Amino acid sequence: MSEFNQENLNSLKKLARIKIPADEESEILSHMEKIVGYVNLLSEVDTDNVQIATHVSQNLNVLREDNIGELLPKETFLANAPDQIGGMIRTPPVLKEPE
Amino acid sequence: MHLLSAFELRKRFENGELKAREIAEHFLARIDKHSKNLGSFLHVLDERALKKADELDLRKSKGEKLGLLAGIPIAIKDNMHIKGEITTCGSKFLTNYRAPFDASVCKFLEDQDAILIGKTNLDEFAMGSSNENSAFFPAKNPWNTECVPGGSSGGSAAAVSARLAPLATGSDTGGSIRQPASFCGIVGYKPTYGRVSRYGLVAFGSSLDQIGPFATCVEDIALIMEAIARPCAHDSTSISHPPESFLENLPTDLKGKRIGVPWKFLEEMDAKALEAFKANIEQLKALGAEIVDVDLSILKYSIAIYYILATAEASTNLARFDGIRYGVRSPNAKALEDIYDFSRDEGFGKEVKKRILLGTHVLSSGYKDAYYKKAQKVRTLIIERYNSIFKECDLISMPVSPFAAFKFGAITDPIQMYLQDIFTVSANLAGLPAISVPAGFDHNKMPVGLQFLAPQMKDKTVIDAAHAFEKSAKIPTMPEAFA
Repeated sequence: MSEFNQENLNSLKKLARIKIPADEESEILSHMEKIVGYVNLLSEVDTDNVQIATHVSQNLNVLREDNIGELLPKETFLANAPDQIGGMIRTPPVLKEPE
Repeated sequence: MHLLSAFELRKRFENGELKAREIAEHFLARIDKHSKNLGSFLHVLDERALKKADELDLRKSKGEKLGLLAGIPIAIKDNMHIKGEITTCGSKFLTNYRAPFDASVCKFLEDQDAILIGKTNLDEFAMGSSNENSAFFPAKNPWNTECVPGGSSGGSAAAVSARLAPLATGSDTGGSIRQPASFCGIVGYKPTYGRVSRYGLVAFGSSLDQIGPFATCVEDIALIMEAIARPCAHDSTSISHPPESFLENLPTDLKGKRIGVPWKFLEEMDAKALEAFKANIEQLKALGAEIVDVDLSILKYSIAIYYILATAEASTNLARFDGIRYGVRSPNAKALEDIYDFSRDEGFGKEVKKRILLGTHVLSSGYKDAYYKKAQKVRTLIIERYNSIFKECDLISMPVSPFAAFKFGAITDPIQMYLQDIFTVSANLAGLPAISVPAGFDHNKMPVGLQFLAPQMKDKTVIDAAHAFEKSAKIPTMPEAFA
């Protein structure tokens, strides 16, 4: 376990695809430093030979018949789309216009 | 009429003393009168509620058989879908999102003839312990509107406490039902993980999230649980257990029950709060329970585990909010990549961003073993500790929160805020049923709750214990200003 710094934050912003306005950044950084510092507490627990808890539920592998169920009509789904064209979702171009 | 329990309202509707329309209009008028001040509702479903009420009156006049919750207005936390209505999750990102399907819990409620009356305020994406993270406005505590109602289901708790609805739903990922119930002086119940379907609940921490109810008394919790605790084909973690009668034989004593209390773990609590808790435990003894000292010192790690696992799960769950398919897309995006970056910046509040970044950190290459996997291992140790205690005890009792409701803005340190959940998160980590029941008031006359936990699927045991305690404690649950 280690400390958290500005470099970590810069890389996380790219990984999580979140821009942070300049006025929020110092508070977020300071909170994350504190939180990461706090969760380092776990390093004192001996977990050799302990399995990871992949689930808490006692019922595993609940299976069902592979039938077609209710489907969401396309129009209903598209009603929430920010932009659409011809029954498809529209986005700005993948490539930026040359400046 | 608003002083009646849900159970009593249904009875009066059934025997013809009250019409569903009268009930719906009465509660809508109360919402109209108080909700602006309390901030408890984000949307009021007046048309829908009145339509359902009229339909119920008509069906009743024809002598048709009506459902378990006939005529009872119920408020829904605004992270659960009602088909055709807006679900904001307390976020600017979803201000325009109209749910294309019903959450199973809302469907079950309507199938049992409940009247869905409105969508309640919450911390954005259910991330918070005070409701101060709602993107719109904070809900306030009906006992003192300068204080927070707790979070994240603060709007639901405030609405039920002020009698703007006799029942409400909440979701509990680390205490988000029990802590606001305790702060607002009502009953809040987190069922066993998987007991109530999560289908149509906007996911936060999927291995921890659980939907449950708020009510003014334990009997009403038992009533609504009969409607919502049922298997659901749309949720693969739903437990395939047939509906159970929670109302049957609600006891008034605790004879023969062994209740574990983690005394050592509670030592660091505020002295006055600890005294009050001790008095509650004396009352359990007087009801016939045998109190056993249990070791839960491992819970000192529960907040650290929680803030690794819950944020890890949140960072993946919230990846779907990309501004492409639904939600608010940034108007400033000129290229595809801008949509993600700008929409997530403009749509999410600070706490949500912080948790997504933290979750991304604990899952990222080089850190995953040290944080995510380590936390999952300590989670195993907590589950094992509970299993071992429950070999000797029927129940565990502890406080809900270290303090009663605090004033807006009083807690700015993130760790202090997170530590609010120290007594509640472990039930989520282990998937246990847990209830908060009114237990008294602190020196500022703010309500305080008592918590009961039991093994998975022993939901009835928890509800029974809370009922026995409630009947003997007789704690007032009505804030004077809203009587």
